[in-house]
Amino acid sequence: MRLDALFGYIVERLPELWLRTGEHLMLTGCSTLAAMSIGIPVGILLSRTTWLRGPVMGVIGILQTIPSLAMLVFLLALLNKIGVLPALIALTVYALLPIARNTLTGLEEVSAEVMEAAEGIGMKEYQQLMMVRIPLAASVIVAGIRTAAVVGVGIATLSAFIGAGGLGQFINRGLALANTKLILLGAVPAALLALVVDFSIGAFEWGLRPQRKKDKKGSVQSLMRPLAFMLPVALILIGSAAYFTKPGWIFKSETRFETSHRIIRLATKNFTEQLILGEMMAQLIEAKTDLKVQRRFNLGGTMICHGALINGEIDLYAEYTGTGLTAILKHPVIADPEKALRHVTKVYHERFNLQWLKPFGFNNTYAITVRAADAEKYSWNTISDLQASAQRLRAGFTAEFAERPDGYPGLRQTYNLQFGEVRDFDPSLMYEAVAKKEVDVICAFATDGRIASYHLKPLKDDRQFFPPYHAAPVIREDILKKYPKIGDVLELLGGIIDDATMQRLNFEVDAKQRKTAKVVEEFLRAKEIL
Amino acid sequence: MIKLTHVSKSFDGGRSYAVKDLSFQVRKGETLVLLGSSGCGKTTTLKMINRLIEPSRGTVEVDGKDVMGRNPVELRRQIGYVFQGIGLFPHMTVEQNVEIVPRLLGWSSRSRRERMQELLNLVGLPAKSFAQRFPDELSGGQQQRIGVARALAANPDYLLMDEPFGALDALTREALQQELLTLKKQLKKTIVFVTHDLHEALLLGDRIAILHEGHLEQIGTKKDILEAPATQFVRDLFTTREPGTFILRDT
Repeated sequence: MRLDALFGYIVERLPELWLRTGEHLMLTGCSTLAAMSIGIPVGILLSRTTWLRGPVMGVIGILQTIPSLAMLVFLLALLNKIGVLPALIALTVYALLPIARNTLTGLEEVSAEVMEAAEGIGMKEYQQLMMVRIPLAASVIVAGIRTAAVVGVGIATLSAFIGAGGLGQFINRGLALANTKLILLGAVPAALLALVVDFSIGAFEWGLRPQRKKDKKGSVQSLMRPLAFMLPVALILIGSAAYFTKPGWIFKSETRFETSHRIIRLATKNFTEQLILGEMMAQLIEAKTDLKVQRRFNLGGTMICHGALINGEIDLYAEYTGTGLTAILKHPVIADPEKALRHVTKVYHERFNLQWLKPFGFNNTYAITVRAADAEKYSWNTISDLQASAQRLRAGFTAEFAERPDGYPGLRQTYNLQFGEVRDFDPSLMYEAVAKKEVDVICAFATDGRIASYHLKPLKDDRQFFPPYHAAPVIREDILKKYPKIGDVLELLGGIIDDATMQRLNFEVDAKQRKTAKVVEEFLRAKEIL
Repeated sequence: MIKLTHVSKSFDGGRSYAVKDLSFQVRKGETLVLLGSSGCGKTTTLKMINRLIEPSRGTVEVDGKDVMGRNPVELRRQIGYVFQGIGLFPHMTVEQNVEIVPRLLGWSSRSRRERMQELLNLVGLPAKSFAQRFPDELSGGQQQRIGVARALAANPDYLLMDEPFGALDALTREALQQELLTLKKQLKKTIVFVTHDLHEALLLGDRIAILHEGHLEQIGTKKDILEAPATQFVRDLFTTREPGTFILRDT
């Protein structure tokens, strides 16, 4: 890519970069402050009660070892909430260990001689703590805070996964679209931010150190000192400034602070087709109604979207009939598309107060897919054809497919297939993996544009194992009642996208790396809906 | 006046005693030296006077009142303490170190400052060039002078000194001993001074209490001890010639 093009790419996204950086700083800053207000008192308490030390540090240590993604998902389930709150709690938990441990270590390391002097000249216990022990431990405590904050910047990139924003949002989106530029747009600023945070807290620590007589008044050092002190504060101020002065002219459709329900919160899962459908619904609602759309795209997998919809954290997303049937309702497969839709519509209404609207038209079923060259060589046409050689084949599946009943477990039973090796992949990486012969079989999505571009061949589901996966908007009934216009508007999208069209749209975004909004707008105009 | 009556201290619940049945008085205005080798209980005895250590048995009285009946914090603020390892606060300047006890006592900043300047002049480290320094910018001898100034800051009647010159080189030690002699005359404090250096004891002490394995061998003036040693231990003290410590016959 040429340099000026790259420059243009960044400039174009500068306002959003500014906002995401602000969110990132807020997440890190608030969680670090929270961890300080817990960790430092805990450290002080532990320095005075020896018997508590083992158990408390043990618990904090164990919390630390929980993988960050698992922690986020666990909190999500526990709080029944997506967004900033679970992210903040997770980040706080991770920041606790370095802060509490350093506080304890710092307090312990103060020499016994000095403490005896403090007692001997007549300091009360709290005076010994406040005037001697804590000031002498300060640099070690601040070092702990520094570690916590820098690690926090890294972990905060994962909070985008549960809709908390931050620079991780670029990374997530980049992963979903297999777009390296987008990934770097999140990753590089996050790394720089970690350096800036590290430097500023380091400077704060330097400012804390006693000023020697050697640093004469008026010298550069003595002038720098108060500045160094202010650096972390300045960073938090910049963060909140970016956060609260969100440039509305860029994100005209995303209005966080409007509480009056003139906003429709629209989510998507984390792959290209979902982003396209989401953008399509959003553009249409914005064009044809006076409602605003808050785009909470790339929220994560099926369960996160569905959970958020039930909890009222979001109002609407596009779901697939087969997924609703098997993964969410855990009902047996219904092969007839019409019947399947009628069934999910009925049960969703009864059980969740959710409404299925008219499907878009295409069927994005899973397709067991191999390299076209292999298919020809071994004359594979149907999934049954794989049976003989399955033991020698390596499969690459999405994490969801590997576990869902309408995924590998069911497939194994129906076709008596046992692959030699199964590896989990991000949906966006699966196609490349099979094309580059990392694996031999993948669970492609039938409408994915990359099937054609990577010269792959979907095998026929000869035993009709996969249920139909017709995508349709699923919306909360209370929202639909409040704004019936949404239903009418989304009806316009009913049946207008067939399999080939969806493949083409996916291809435009995935392979040609075009902007989703642009591709969607062109399509809607061509169909004369916009 | 400080008065110890049948004071014992055990750190292990009575199996062994660091101090055994100790009784003596420190008269107003005198300097009493507690002399003995390490482990004889002299520092333990000193610390029982300001309740850094509490006696297992017996009573310690300061100004006629049992220290166990007094608030330890207030007691300590009225008794200056010069520590063995100096014990200056490394994060505070000389000025802040010297002003700390007056600050705890709630003196006004003006009287604190005046007192600080007075004391720094007294110990020969003028405030103008030393007040803003940190302890690690001073030599060992200068640090201990500040230690003495800090102990004197609130103008206490009593001064406890725990081997204050032990860690200094011989030359500095002698200079400080001479300064202390001068200071003593000027200030008229009641001083309890702990040392293992016989020479130092004879030089500084109005009276000397010789401790051995936790009990008192003899207490008396230099003359008493030299002319009428009470025990064989005391007698041996003056005939042993360990270089640098017990060197009385030569002086």
